[in-house]
Amino acid sequence: MISSYAGISPHSDLVLIEKLCEALSGKSFLHINSTKAGGGVAEILQRMIPLLSSLGIKTRWEVIEGDQKFFDMTKKVHNALQGNAEVITDDMWEHYFEVNRKNASKIDLGADAVLIHDPQPAALVKYRKTGNWLWRCHIDISAPNPEVFSRLEPSVKEYDSAIFSVAKFARAAAIDEFIVPPSIDPLSEKNMDLSDKEITEVAERFDIPLDRPMLLQVSRFDRFKDPIGVINAYRMVKKYNDCILVLAGSPATDDPEGEEVLNEVREHAEGDPDIHILLLPPFSDKDINALQRMATIALQKSLKEGFGLTVSEAMWKGKPVIGGAVGGIPLQIVHGATGFLVHSVEGAAFRIRQFLNNPTMAARMGEQGREYVRKYFLLTRETRDYLALWYAAEHRDKGIVFELDPPMQKFTGLKKS
Amino acid sequence: MPPDTDFVFRDAVRVLKTTGKRAEDLRQLRDLIATASKECVFHHTCQYFSKGHILEYTNDFAQWAGESLEESALAELLSNIDPYSFATAEDIRGEFLKAIDYYMENFPQTRKVIPGDEFHFIETISFIFPVGMRARNLAEFLMALKYIDAKSIYYHFFEARVRLGQAVDDFSKWLDEVLELKELAGKIQAIDPFMHNMEGIREHLIEIIEEGLKLQMRAAQ
Repeated sequence: MISSYAGISPHSDLVLIEKLCEALSGKSFLHINSTKAGGGVAEILQRMIPLLSSLGIKTRWEVIEGDQKFFDMTKKVHNALQGNAEVITDDMWEHYFEVNRKNASKIDLGADAVLIHDPQPAALVKYRKTGNWLWRCHIDISAPNPEVFSRLEPSVKEYDSAIFSVAKFARAAAIDEFIVPPSIDPLSEKNMDLSDKEITEVAERFDIPLDRPMLLQVSRFDRFKDPIGVINAYRMVKKYNDCILVLAGSPATDDPEGEEVLNEVREHAEGDPDIHILLLPPFSDKDINALQRMATIALQKSLKEGFGLTVSEAMWKGKPVIGGAVGGIPLQIVHGATGFLVHSVEGAAFRIRQFLNNPTMAARMGEQGREYVRKYFLLTRETRDYLALWYAAEHRDKGIVFELDPPMQKFTGLKKS
Repeated sequence: MPPDTDFVFRDAVRVLKTTGKRAEDLRQLRDLIATASKECVFHHTCQYFSKGHILEYTNDFAQWAGESLEESALAELLSNIDPYSFATAEDIRGEFLKAIDYYMENFPQTRKVIPGDEFHFIETISFIFPVGMRARNLAEFLMALKYIDAKSIYYHFFEARVRLGQAVDDFSKWLDEVLELKELAGKIQAIDPFMHNMEGIREHLIEIIEEGLKLQMRAAQ
């Protein structure tokens, strides 16, 4: 399976993955999160688990089970950790810990390395058995609601280390904290090459005209993604450039607010036949791929963001991108080089007009963006980083520089005979 | 076991670790640079060339000064420091502190960045490994240079200068000490590391080695 990435991912990433897997061969790696479908975490795991298994690591992926009350509460926790004011009662916390306890009794938590994704299953650490436990936090907790964080913090401190997507998401804790940006898989249905015929078929199925420039935002229907702001920016552009807007998103089983926001968006767009709102079912990856490929400009005008991997997805397809300067988006968009960062609806509208009126610049940034993603945001790099952290944790006594066989040469004094 | 005189092409991969330290203004940045680990100083000053020259300034401190502090003159000052002209991370640190102190003497009132724009000090865990190519002579060296990942060239051409503590790259060191080709080594050392991206460096290296090979062939005739 790793050989499929030859010629796509950087060669050295593949070499290091193989070397680390050799060293960790036969050991077990357990991932636990809260949803099989919807959102970036599930997408990454769907691809990473088989890749790791194919390389001799005994990899498992478990999903915690919870009722509506649990997911309503964890959504509030998610929002509160990103700074929103939320009321979470003692009863809700008790339910949270109880759901984690029940899951701990059902899931085999024994593994050499255990990677727990996000706050929903974070309290499982209380039931840890063996191995290195890492908490993978995909959201920005740099300025959380302090009351909510204080309830979660004791669990976080029980981990061996925490992993954040961006340095500024981290929060000083008593454990080691690492930075591992998430990634996209270039071979997945969402990112693989598509034929013109496949793209046209999707356009026809969704009744999207291809005769005008298309602006696209792919994201959950979530207020933090500012879909209303995107519509407002499109309306400003429309005064100067004829174009269409497509807002496409999948529901997630752990996001009860999605429907409410979707209704607001539909209401705001009402009466404009050039705004296409697509509610895509889970596993619509090929359709999203086609939509991104038919787009003229990709937007991710988030107000708060975990990482915003749709930016990398669009960049991988060579599209010029415009993103809100929040969360992990500035890590992907180097302003003026791989796209534009914006801070307002007006900024988004202005940059859209720049791209629409300067296709050469748009193509250049699109190409630079693709190469940037190749270097930093492909699945192989993220896989490499997890393995590297695991390896480092198992060899903690050896310091912070690991020379993998053979050791460095010291040429001094050696002459070729 | 191949002889120790072979040139083994390697690469270095770094996983980032937060230090928990962050600066809100220039004074804090200066004080934290003064006490940061050498790995931290190396990470923030020597990684620009691996990023394909797409950033405005040539190191993280300069980038932050320009983009977040909006102190363009300081950003230019810091950006002009060539970290590869110094033998050690301590020397690099000293040069940055000198530049910041000079700037603060002239512009003592610096402002805080907006929340969320703080400078985060990062350390790294490094993995160094052979990438599967080696060279025994100049011809094999040339072939490898043509096909090796740009990242590997970065490791041997840029990082080596600080790693070896001699402000010299691995390539010219091998040519000089193993193949005893001092002239070629000198030509490689004369490449301006600041003015080329990785592909530009590769082109220069190939050009120099091809010329060296031609001379060797002529001498053998």
